[in-house]
Amino acid sequence: MKRGSLSVVSTLAWRNLWRNHRRTLIMLLAIAIGVWAMIFMAALMRGMTDEMMRNGLNNLPGEVQIHQANYRDDPSVANSMAPPAGELARELARPPVAAWAARVRVPAVVASERDSRGVTLLGVDPASERAIGSLPGDIQEGRFLEDEHDRGLVIGRKLASRLETALGKRVVLMSQDPQNDIADRGVRVVGIYRARLEGTEDQFVYAGRAAVQEMLGIGDRVSEVAVTAHDYRAVDRWYPQLAAAVGQGLEVAPWTELDSFLASYLSVQDGFSLVFMVVVFLVLSFGLVNTLAMAVFERVREIGLMQALGMPPSLILGQLLLESLYLLGLGLALGNLLALASIRPLESGIDISAVAQGMEMMGMGTTLYPALALTDMAMSTAVVIVLGLLASLLPAWRAARLEPVTALNTTM
Amino acid sequence: MSVTWRLAWRNLWRHSRRTWLTVGAMVFCNVLLIFLISLQLGSYQMMIDNSLATYSGHIQIQQRGYLEDQQMRQTVPAVARLAAGVRSVLGVETVSARGLAFALASSEQRSFGVLLNGVQPEFEPAVSTLPGLVRQGRYLAPGDRGQIVIGAVLARNLKVGLGEELTFLGSGRDGSFSAGVATVVGILESGMDEIDRSVAQVPLSWFQETFSMGDHGHSVVIRVPDLDRVPEAVQTLQGMLPAGESLEVLDWNALQPGLRQAITSDLASAWFTYVVLIVLVAFSVLNTQLMSVLERTREFGVMLSLGMRPGQLARLVGMETLLMAALGLGLGVLLGALLTQYLSAVGFAYPGMDELGAKFNMPGRMYPEVSLLSLFWGPAVVVLGALLAAIYPALRLFRLAPVEAMRAA
Amino acid sequence: MSSISCRNLCRTFHQGDEVITGLDHVDLDIEEGEFVCLSGPSGSGKTTLLNAMGGLDTPDEGEITVGKYRVDKLSKNELAEMRLHDIGFVFQAYNLIPVLSAIENVEFVMQVQGIAAADRGARARAILAEVGLQGLEDRRPGDMSGGQQQRVAVARAIVNQPALVLADEPTANLDTRSAAQFMDLFVALNRQHGITFVISTHDTRVMAYARRLIRMRDGRIVADEQQEPHGMAV
Repeated sequence: MKRGSLSVVSTLAWRNLWRNHRRTLIMLLAIAIGVWAMIFMAALMRGMTDEMMRNGLNNLPGEVQIHQANYRDDPSVANSMAPPAGELARELARPPVAAWAARVRVPAVVASERDSRGVTLLGVDPASERAIGSLPGDIQEGRFLEDEHDRGLVIGRKLASRLETALGKRVVLMSQDPQNDIADRGVRVVGIYRARLEGTEDQFVYAGRAAVQEMLGIGDRVSEVAVTAHDYRAVDRWYPQLAAAVGQGLEVAPWTELDSFLASYLSVQDGFSLVFMVVVFLVLSFGLVNTLAMAVFERVREIGLMQALGMPPSLILGQLLLESLYLLGLGLALGNLLALASIRPLESGIDISAVAQGMEMMGMGTTLYPALALTDMAMSTAVVIVLGLLASLLPAWRAARLEPVTALNTTM
Repeated sequence: MSVTWRLAWRNLWRHSRRTWLTVGAMVFCNVLLIFLISLQLGSYQMMIDNSLATYSGHIQIQQRGYLEDQQMRQTVPAVARLAAGVRSVLGVETVSARGLAFALASSEQRSFGVLLNGVQPEFEPAVSTLPGLVRQGRYLAPGDRGQIVIGAVLARNLKVGLGEELTFLGSGRDGSFSAGVATVVGILESGMDEIDRSVAQVPLSWFQETFSMGDHGHSVVIRVPDLDRVPEAVQTLQGMLPAGESLEVLDWNALQPGLRQAITSDLASAWFTYVVLIVLVAFSVLNTQLMSVLERTREFGVMLSLGMRPGQLARLVGMETLLMAALGLGLGVLLGALLTQYLSAVGFAYPGMDELGAKFNMPGRMYPEVSLLSLFWGPAVVVLGALLAAIYPALRLFRLAPVEAMRAA
Repeated sequence: MSSISCRNLCRTFHQGDEVITGLDHVDLDIEEGEFVCLSGPSGSGKTTLLNAMGGLDTPDEGEITVGKYRVDKLSKNELAEMRLHDIGFVFQAYNLIPVLSAIENVEFVMQVQGIAAADRGARARAILAEVGLQGLEDRRPGDMSGGQQQRVAVARAIVNQPALVLADEPTANLDTRSAAQFMDLFVALNRQHGITFVISTHDTRVMAYARRLIRMRDGRIVADEQQEPHGMAV
């Protein structure tokens, strides 16, 4: 298209857009609301997904875990591994690995004088656990472990109430040593934590790693190594390097394999955002086609005139597509602004404690943090522009194919 | 009257393409609403049924406070007799007594802390679907004593198979030391790790003996034929509770509060979707009707000068909208009904649904539930939205002056 | 270049059950620089003939050549190209694009042709002055009288110096005084720039300006005579 013709086409498209300003404004508003809804919904879902992923990965923890090959099938202390050394240690010190923690993780029983419960005992090194972000964030009473030699025990609030025990009281910790004998030890509850999910509070108790290793008689061996790069979507790019570096008898698993529920949830949600956007757009498209078809209908004579003056069909088509593009562009701008304005204030969190237990089923906490992401804005823009132009093609095509004489002689 | 309707109908077809596009928007929206609502109703029903059927039942009778603390001593006395009483009062067989105790289960090689569940072998299959999931061996039978059925993951972790023995160590109701040995007679596999890791069921009588329970248990589980009958049954049961005991009757909502909330939160996001769709359709109608009013200014001027009142013209526009909306409703409901009827027969799957469904005790395929509510609720609101959208164009008619209107191009 | 030759042109229209003859075996030659009037009652086929020459409508049968173009053989795009560069059109009414001002309407064709902005503006201004519309360049069609609008249309038709101007009832909506001024303008353009004019009309005041007067009836040419143009009394 020549430059001059482009400018005349854009002038015509813009001015024609405002000839029936009421119709244009209504359509503009409809597009803006549609776009707003697309982005708002996507932000809510992304917030929910992020939250679930965060909780899920904190519980695993890490984006990649290294175990003795049999451990996942039989999470017993017998299936332990030596702490990372040699090539694996070097690989773990390199980016993109941000942090890692080696821990003992065994099934255990905690008994108070009143009751006992089965739990997962985590023997941890507080400093490295803190680096991968897996420690309970909220210590309600007492303190967390000081170092891996700490001989105290940190339990969840829910477990404390079920066992009818309290801070400073002694409980008995029982587990199995590699010889299948029961190893037990009296420990003092030094801290009570609160977690986002009650299930977590019931499940996990924390003790110093060296103390647990001593109790189980396993020297410096550990159950798992949790590794994080702080980007769960990128895990497939770097975990193969680790897999290559571990020796015989160990396995490296990314979170997508460790928790297939999280993995499928992520892909379903990503797909769902797109489906939602397309559906909203389809409802919009009827109005869009209608508006454009009316615009063509009202201007048949004018289009005939332009054809008579030598405007080629391609320019007529271009003019109408451009008019539609202006409308879509304005609607998108307005919709994105609306989304920005409505999501920003909500980013500090929406209180959903009213449905907290329902959300807990999905691995959510009591607050929903909508997450406005550029990709969602870009995706909605792409959906609106691409599908919008496709929908506009039909009326625009009809306009371009008008017979000049028929068009000129049309009476309004 | 009929002349006006006829006029309204003909006016619609002056721009048949425009009318069809607007009707098309309504039909599309209606079909979508019908599909989504019936899918939702279908899946909620299924979610509730499946979740409750697995283990918790519709109603339970427990000691007050047991739900929250789950302590060994919070018991229901004479639990089997109470269960029998409930059976006769409600006239249903689907009632079973249970006890629950923590114990350290040890095989030759492994030890795990488990929640040991004492059940009535003759009644448990009537209140829970777990007995039906035994994949190896058999479920408990009446008369069994030292037998146990465990989940597949637990069996793997304990490294036990059928016929092998498990030792249990725990504490009885009075805090005394308890121990027992049971033989694995069945291994059940649900496909859900959480269940397969935790199930350990023994006969109630053996359970009571081992844990010094006397005739006590922890709960009476009741399944009623229909969710709607729960409140009525709860009322009946409250009346029959033995005096002097602090027992309470809990319905499914109290037993699994997460379930209703999960539904509520899902409904909230669904509402958002519905409102957006309906608003967008209303805009489409608003645009169409405004256009049709504006382009007929001259014609309306003539009608005014012939003595028609603005109110009558506004009514004409309203009638046109109503006809259009009725068409959208009729076609939408027809297509929506066909679609959902078809899907309710063959089911509907979304890639990745299986895993998510499992978490909520749902199958991977979903079957929409076709009902009058799901068919008409959405489309009716669309009609309402369309009529609301016609208000602005209709109001413009009251500002019309005949002479100016006739002069308008 | 602008010599027109029509051979055996036929065109029929269908309206309901009725078949209307637009052109019935028309043969016609027009030389470069002629000033021709097509006259006849409405329905005689003059507009159909004009449309056929401009490529707005394709005859059912026959050949039509305008300058170097075989009009009946061209594609839609080629026809648009031909009209853009070699033919100016003036219609009875609705001549202008409503959203464009007078000067923009005149520039329109040049813009589509891709002529540079500066050049375009100057030429449009000059031509509007020539048709007597100085000072009204920025008016939109809705703010101009019928006569003024027709002048803009003429300015647009001649601005890129076409070889041929086709005008369909150009004076139908004008009063006698405007019509006379209008025809004077046509004659001057014909003389000064050598542009061929073919005008369809049933207005005798217009026919008086023609040097060649072709009369049509029922789709046929019934008379074709040279005459001394005598203008009209104002």
